[in-house]
Amino acid sequence: MKRLRFHWSLSAAGEKFRGAQSRSAQNGIPNYASLLEFCRHAEACGIDSLLTAYGFHRPDPIVLAAAMGMVTAKIKFMVAVRSGLFSPTAFVQQVNSVSAFIQGRICLNVVAGHTPAEQRSYGDFLEHDLRYERADEFLTICRRLWQREGAVDFEGKHYRIENAVLNTPFLSPERQSPEIFVGGNSQFAEQLAMKHGDCLWRMPEAPETLAPQLAPLLDKGVSVGLLVSILARPTRGEALAAAQTMVHSFGDAPRRTHREFSQRSDSVAFTSVLKIAENGSPEWLSPCLWTGAVPFLGAPAIALVGSAEEVAAAIMDYKRIGISQFLFMGWPDLEEMAFFSQSVLPLVRAKEQAIA
Amino acid sequence: MSPAKHSSNGWKAASVDSDPLLRFHWRLIQGGERAGASRAYQSSLSATGLPDLLPQIEFCRQAEECGIDSLLVDFGWSKPDSIVLSTALGLATQKIRLIVAYRSGLLCPTSFVQQLNTLSHLIQGRFSLNIVAGSSPDEQAYYGDFLSHDERYDRTEEFLAICNALWRQDGAVDYSGRYYRVEKSKLNTPFYSPERTFPEIYIAGNSPSAQRVSISQGTCWMRFPETPHDLAGKIRPVLESGKEVGLRLSIIARPTREEAVAAAYELLKGADAQFDDRAKEKELTERSDSLSIKSLNQSSEWGTSSLWTGAVRTHGPAAVALVGAPDEIASAILEYKSIGITQFILSGWPKLESMLFFGREVLPLVRTKERALIRKEPPASVSAMPAAL
Repeated sequence: MKRLRFHWSLSAAGEKFRGAQSRSAQNGIPNYASLLEFCRHAEACGIDSLLTAYGFHRPDPIVLAAAMGMVTAKIKFMVAVRSGLFSPTAFVQQVNSVSAFIQGRICLNVVAGHTPAEQRSYGDFLEHDLRYERADEFLTICRRLWQREGAVDFEGKHYRIENAVLNTPFLSPERQSPEIFVGGNSQFAEQLAMKHGDCLWRMPEAPETLAPQLAPLLDKGVSVGLLVSILARPTRGEALAAAQTMVHSFGDAPRRTHREFSQRSDSVAFTSVLKIAENGSPEWLSPCLWTGAVPFLGAPAIALVGSAEEVAAAIMDYKRIGISQFLFMGWPDLEEMAFFSQSVLPLVRAKEQAIA
Repeated sequence: MSPAKHSSNGWKAASVDSDPLLRFHWRLIQGGERAGASRAYQSSLSATGLPDLLPQIEFCRQAEECGIDSLLVDFGWSKPDSIVLSTALGLATQKIRLIVAYRSGLLCPTSFVQQLNTLSHLIQGRFSLNIVAGSSPDEQAYYGDFLSHDERYDRTEEFLAICNALWRQDGAVDYSGRYYRVEKSKLNTPFYSPERTFPEIYIAGNSPSAQRVSISQGTCWMRFPETPHDLAGKIRPVLESGKEVGLRLSIIARPTREEAVAAAYELLKGADAQFDDRAKEKELTERSDSLSIKSLNQSSEWGTSSLWTGAVRTHGPAAVALVGAPDEIASAILEYKSIGITQFILSGWPKLESMLFFGREVLPLVRTKERALIRKEPPASVSAMPAAL
């Protein structure tokens, strides 16, 4: 069985509680020094790739990946992409160009967008399900360009391309095309991942409720990863205390922000997690899976909380049901990443070895 | 940034100085570029699509030393993406600016502005834009674009209208046109430059549509040259609108006129025997719907004693050249200045050696002549001054 892979989100570089602010209030100016520190730190911590997310409140992920890739040697960049904003040919040309400059250290996180209002600000007026249909066409064209088997013709409902060729191939010592992650909890995301993806990102649930949902993907050879935050400390007591201190520091404003966001969003992944957290259901979905920060920091704040040993064991519980990758966030990221790398990861590797 | 500080030409008040000197840009070398290779031959090379960063960074450094303002980073199916390449080059340099060529219809305007604004923070705003409508319907179809020539300019105008509205930073942008519709568009990453509130926007093309878009959305109409006499009337509306006019031009300069003319004809002979450049270029021209490309192929070889179009058939429209000794070329450039031209995107064969010769032998003469003129006639005539004044 393959070793688990661990990724981290670059989205909050230099900011501890970015998610506590409304998106409109978040800083979109890339801070080169913070980003550089974050990337080099992640590289030293053995992180596989860094997610550069997409949104009106963030810097552009492709430009960011190109820039940070130029000053790093090992770490990969998982560039978020929403179909409908780019011509697939122009997109592949950008991705291939980045691959050529940074030795192929780029992979993709395909998302369909989570708020109709934001999509409209980019000129996209399609509804949720049609956005996935368009993403399917988009990825079909992209993958044919990556196959490099002659000029690409395509005529679909959303895209039409004639005789497309590009002179810049995807360049990587390992792959002919970038690894494709798909984000989302809806059946459409699942279908998209099965058709085009290498891995589907899911929001976590308790292992026993998640397990039966994974079979169709795993049977198809598509791996499943969890998008989850992490709060690990030497002891469970310290972890719980840190979680409580954090929640008490927020006040009420972030809670309103995320309630409002949830009303505007049509993302199944985001709204379902927010609903669980808001419904007065228990804060602990399993002994380690905590939703207490979700009302303040949003859906991605669903977290693995506990001692190093407990979090490592929880990770292994997920591995047992077929999860093979994790995309983490932490508060603050750098300290959490260092603790993960020094205290949690060695335990995970030892446990992996023991069952191998 | 407060809207009040946003002037129509984009210069921040503090950076508008009284220096009316011409600005010279050069074309960046491409991956694996072969001296003297024709346009068709260069596109056919796989190396053209690959990054060649070390020689390109060295080229940037030499351009800085030559007094070149910016380097043009082309866009096309055969080359790495211009925004990504500009990111890499901008991070590896300190002073040189980049002219990012791009086309409308490849990505939505909000995403385009987001990419450029992100880049502006990483390289201190050291870039401008060369917006082209696309010259080949075949190539546009690669990208999913099936509009006609005039429609592409109409779309470009809408595209830039949205970009400019986002750059004005005066609230969420609503736009509903024939080609684009955005609702409450805003970005949390503003454009950054110590000098400007938005990037300079060159609109490339010789057609009336290109001229119209330059006036409505650009900062400078960037066109292929004609004789100063023929050009003067055509550029007047643009200058009168307060926008600049620049020329795309090649330079074949040698110590003497005889050597320069010989070098020009040598260029035609040097076209690769293995590769039928004339046939290929003819095919490119016939398949193109660009007015500038078609019209330049019909004109006679010498427009003036310095302006030569002989290489257009093998090397494309950017090969319209000033040919001569340094003093002749400097004088020809000053003639263009006298009708109101303020910027030039230049090139030569080979790009590096021609740039070094220009920087060493031609540019000092241009500056001397410019300063002599400034002393003689204090800035009065609108047409001889950059629009920024």
